Amino acid sequence: MIYWSIKTLLSEPTRLFISALAVSMSFLLVVFFSAVFEGESEQMVTYLRKMDADIWVMQKGVSNMHMASSMVWDWKVDKIASIPGVKAVSAILYLNGPLKIGGKDWFSYLMGISPKYKNTGPWDMAKGKALPEQGEVVIPEVVSQLTGVQIGDEITMVDRKLRVVGLTHGTFAMASSVVFVSHEDLGNLLHGRDQVSYIMVYANPGVSTQTLIQRIKDDVEKVNVLSSEDFIQSDWQLATQMGTEIIRMMTTIGTLLATLIVAFTSYSLVARKKQELAIAKALGFSNGQIYSAALCQSVVITGTGLLFTLLLSYTLLTWLPAMIPQLNLAVGLHQFIPIVVITLPVAVIASFIAARTVVKVDPMTVFSG
Amino acid sequence: MTSDSILKANNLSKFFASGTSEVRAVNDVSLNIKRGEMVLIMGPSGSGKTTLLSMLGALLNPTSGDVVIDGTSISSMKDNELAALRAKKIGFIFQAFNLLEALNVEENILFPAQLNIGGIHAARNRLDILLDRLGLTARQYALPNTLSGGEKQRVAIGRALINQPAIVLADEPTGNLDSHKGQEVIMLLHDIARDDNCAVLMVTHDPRVEEIADRVLWLEDGAIRDRKSEQHSWIKDPVCGMRIDEWTATIGTEYKNHRYVFCSQRCLERFQSKPDKYLNNEK
Repeated sequence: MIYWSIKTLLSEPTRLFISALAVSMSFLLVVFFSAVFEGESEQMVTYLRKMDADIWVMQKGVSNMHMASSMVWDWKVDKIASIPGVKAVSAILYLNGPLKIGGKDWFSYLMGISPKYKNTGPWDMAKGKALPEQGEVVIPEVVSQLTGVQIGDEITMVDRKLRVVGLTHGTFAMASSVVFVSHEDLGNLLHGRDQVSYIMVYANPGVSTQTLIQRIKDDVEKVNVLSSEDFIQSDWQLATQMGTEIIRMMTTIGTLLATLIVAFTSYSLVARKKQELAIAKALGFSNGQIYSAALCQSVVITGTGLLFTLLLSYTLLTWLPAMIPQLNLAVGLHQFIPIVVITLPVAVIASFIAARTVVKVDPMTVFSG
Repeated sequence: MTSDSILKANNLSKFFASGTSEVRAVNDVSLNIKRGEMVLIMGPSGSGKTTLLSMLGALLNPTSGDVVIDGTSISSMKDNELAALRAKKIGFIFQAFNLLEALNVEENILFPAQLNIGGIHAARNRLDILLDRLGLTARQYALPNTLSGGEKQRVAIGRALINQPAIVLADEPTGNLDSHKGQEVIMLLHDIARDDNCAVLMVTHDPRVEEIADRVLWLEDGAIRDRKSEQHSWIKDPVCGMRIDEWTATIGTEYKNHRYVFCSQRCLERFQSKPDKYLNNEK
């Protein structure tokens, strides 16, 4: 019966192709949302990664950059710089908030940077100058493409106008893009010109991060000191926590969709081949053997769908960001694990509907000439 | 022909509920069929022939009575046991051929072999013998949709015989064939009974089979009895000229207030396309 079920499926390749494609579309939906979510989450910590600091120092009680606010007196930057084992320090002012660009609000990570502090970004310029002076702003190139705002145009930061002087690569995220303004402008806005938000510490070679963290904690009051790894992890977790439920929901919807598609395909195959199943029953095949044939068809459809998903993911999902620049996609093998895991249960559950039809098939119908 | 019994029905009855009343499709039928015997079941439409065949083939449970196949009573068997019995002891041939569309000739014939001891591998030798005997060697890998009606029925016969059953049950095996192809199939079934010592029980309206059958059982209103050979009303099929029993013929049509009967659906269709042509020929 298994051989019959496979031959029957292969005898209608178009139907098999369409069914498998439909299954792969629902699986692809799951992979797509996961890739978007992971890409966005990754983008949220891009700045932290790009700064490549060993240690981040922030206001006491703060352990994130995303959705957080931190203010530290700027003299603490010098104090940290004087601690043995510190190779270099850098600092930024930071605000999480919207900018009005091209008539639309863009929720952004506003980085107040100063020539006084090195290595604070931007790290990849598309056009224009990298270091904004007072009244100037550097925005992501993607925002420029989406809004039509070009170098020389004005944008609004809360109550003040800033002129676009540079466009950056790799700084756009749908949830929050990285925008660079001058330390003075952001300091004025925050009434904190003598303050910084985050201090980046670079250790001398041979000095362990943990040792240096302890020294900073011992010497500088009212700050939280985190290794870069812990800080990034903390922000990553915050970002993923916010989206986990959504991803779980999308995975459930995608799985249900795939199950429905396979179930419908299996059922329609069994329904169309009712007469052949009646023949098999009359010839001596049991309900169990016929059900195993229906299950085999479900497994083949779902398995082919899975294969299509893998192929389409690596072609479509790598091609999409080039077409839609605002998409940040992170495609990894781990995203396929849930799909692979649910494949067999989807096939089994989907074949239950066909099983009911199999049991109901009356072998007496073979006599209807 | 040996004398041992292979299929017995004891006081077999099947009643169907119809509204508040009860229809007796088969009523207290007893029969005994021996190895190597070719037995026909004939009778008017609705006389219970197919119901009887279904019960004898372990496809339908009787309301009362018992069927004994090769010495084993099947009345207390479970569905899976009945399925296994059908696979090993009974070969089925249907009017509509009932081949599996996606499988080629060889695969269709081998299809039930997977239910037998040794499976498909063990049945390979028998497949070659059957293909040769049925004249299907050249069509071994053809799909059913490329076969003629006669070829399809020969494949169905091969499928019925692959597990070397003790009984072959054939339901109108010539019903969808023209007279020539029908004759071929009848002779094949006759040879099977004679050479393989296999009982062939056939439901048919084809009067030609009577001439080669060992016995004809006449079923009427669900009851069976031996039918005397003179109970015929022979007329000619206006298309092919074949002799047909007007009393038992099921394929027919009215034309100019006269009823014409045919040996096959094909002849009927030909007649309906140009009735006057065939009636003029007849004259």
